[in-house]
Amino acid sequence: MYRWLDERLSLSRLNKKFLRKAFPVHHSFFLGEITMFAFITLVLTGVFLSFNYEPSTRLIKHLGKEVPAAYASVLYIDSLPFGAVLRSVHHWSASIMIAAAFLHLLRILISGAYKKPREINWLLGLALLGLSVVTSFTGYSLPFDAFSVTATQIGYGIGASMPYMGEWISQLIFGGEYPTLHSIPRVYSLHVLWFPLLLAALIGAHMLVMLKQKHTQPAYAEKVAPGKILGVPMMPQQGFMMGVLFLLYLAVVFFIAGTWIAHPVEVFGPPTASTPAVKPDWYFIWIYGILQIIPGDLKVSLPFGAVMNSEFIGGVMIPGILGVVAVLLPFLDTRKTKLRYMELPTRHPVRTSVTFALLAFMLTTTLAGWKEEFGFSNGQLWAIIIISTLATYLVSYLIIISYWGRPPKGEAEEA
Amino acid sequence: MSKKPDTTRRAIVGATVGVGLGLGALSMLAPIAALKPKKEVTPETEPPKEGDVFVYAEGDRKGKEITLDDLPKGGPAVLAFPKDPETGVVKSGERNNLVLLIRMDPGELGPEVADYAADGAVAYSAICTHLGCTVSEWEPDKGLLLCPCHKGFYDPRHGAQVVGGPPPRPLPALPLIVKGNKPVCAGGFTSQVGVVAGLEPQGGSCAV
Repeated sequence: MYRWLDERLSLSRLNKKFLRKAFPVHHSFFLGEITMFAFITLVLTGVFLSFNYEPSTRLIKHLGKEVPAAYASVLYIDSLPFGAVLRSVHHWSASIMIAAAFLHLLRILISGAYKKPREINWLLGLALLGLSVVTSFTGYSLPFDAFSVTATQIGYGIGASMPYMGEWISQLIFGGEYPTLHSIPRVYSLHVLWFPLLLAALIGAHMLVMLKQKHTQPAYAEKVAPGKILGVPMMPQQGFMMGVLFLLYLAVVFFIAGTWIAHPVEVFGPPTASTPAVKPDWYFIWIYGILQIIPGDLKVSLPFGAVMNSEFIGGVMIPGILGVVAVLLPFLDTRKTKLRYMELPTRHPVRTSVTFALLAFMLTTTLAGWKEEFGFSNGQLWAIIIISTLATYLVSYLIIISYWGRPPKGEAEEA
Repeated sequence: MSKKPDTTRRAIVGATVGVGLGLGALSMLAPIAALKPKKEVTPETEPPKEGDVFVYAEGDRKGKEITLDDLPKGGPAVLAFPKDPETGVVKSGERNNLVLLIRMDPGELGPEVADYAADGAVAYSAICTHLGCTVSEWEPDKGLLLCPCHKGFYDPRHGAQVVGGPPPRPLPALPLIVKGNKPVCAGGFTSQVGVVAGLEPQGGSCAV
């Protein structure tokens, strides 16, 4: 059988050229793989969900009550054998995909792996992270319960707050002023068709560029075998590890998802005239927190009657600035050192400390999302955010240079 | 000698292909404009107009007409949809038609709302001007309207001025008169309802 295929498809050549490629091993290298496993799980569970989901908000009779068809179909999914678990796995995997992608980004950032020649993959990675977040947000509105409708309405408002084109973009994505009869069919098409296709294409490009440029090497490889690629062959060793990791991923996520059912649609109930108090998923709470404490009358007037209001500044501009800095990073940090090897975070105190400070900023703005529960005032929260961000930078910098010393000259300049 | 005509020919072919592709791309703008959904106005989605009565928007009495006696004095507010008394159509097809009806002691009302109030009853848009949630909660201690999403507070005695939280402007008021012991709509909202996206708010969105 193998010979029959080999004669026609020259499998041995493929094997020699690609499947024996050496893959370096380091525990932090699995973060990207976990992201991909989560994506595969999302596609598979998503197929199941789309077989049973009805993308319509027209009212139908369900157990004597009038509810939107989409809402009733999600109740139907939950009533199928393993239906609720698979839906929960889908929801949890979206969280895990975003978390793993973000940690993967941090690993690349603190080890300096974004530098030339890897700018393309850094940009593809940023696009993948952004698109994952957008895709998961479009999925949020599909159950069409009271909670998800309110959350999507807030997202619509933030999108529409962009000066000049915001309203147009928001109406384009959400099918008019959300929620309309056209909203769910459109968001459904984006969520199950176009965004996943785009994600798959970007993931493919991300992989191909990585294969072409070779994976970055762990720092020790420079001492063991300078100039050579150190690692295990893709087949069978690397493939085996990936297989084990995928199975482990499935086991863990099914356990979590089965134990804590995500987004209990029946508890939230169908949409009502009043809106429940909602908090977004964890990866949006830092933006939600900023929106809670930003002064509401903040307003910058632009020409032609447009304004930048507090929703735009807190919900779009602050995340946008972080995104632009991330995009420019590989073009600003053009040092020629260690292009093929991971840099030690301790040899780059400024970059490492900035990364930690960014994390502190995101954690404290997330804390602001619980402003009401903790009873903080806006002023206290701003003080906490600014002080912890600066303090984290300072403390981390001092710890690094006092334990590991100042980096040698030439490696010290930072982006 | 032979090189020159060749390059000219390439330039012409290149320019022709370029212009063709450019025109093709430009002509795509028309179908792209169709991606923005059009707004359809049906009797259920029309804005409130003069003479409309109000019905409960939720709860056991959903769809029942509201009389002045149904409104507890001093709050809390009641969520309502306008209803055309002639056709009997409840205008619940449009979220922006959600109205908060609240009854106060007429002496408590500030000058901002006195003109719009009828026998102490005032009506405000229920759509938060921050990010479009429903201002559905009531803070009994201070007597304030509360939007639960991002904790925006409005004072119903003083034209729903923002007294806390992130909303950028007050809730638009809906003028009322009393007819047969019922609060009845006397005109359109005083300013634009809901989130004003990236623009300075323009006057009323509703026909008087």
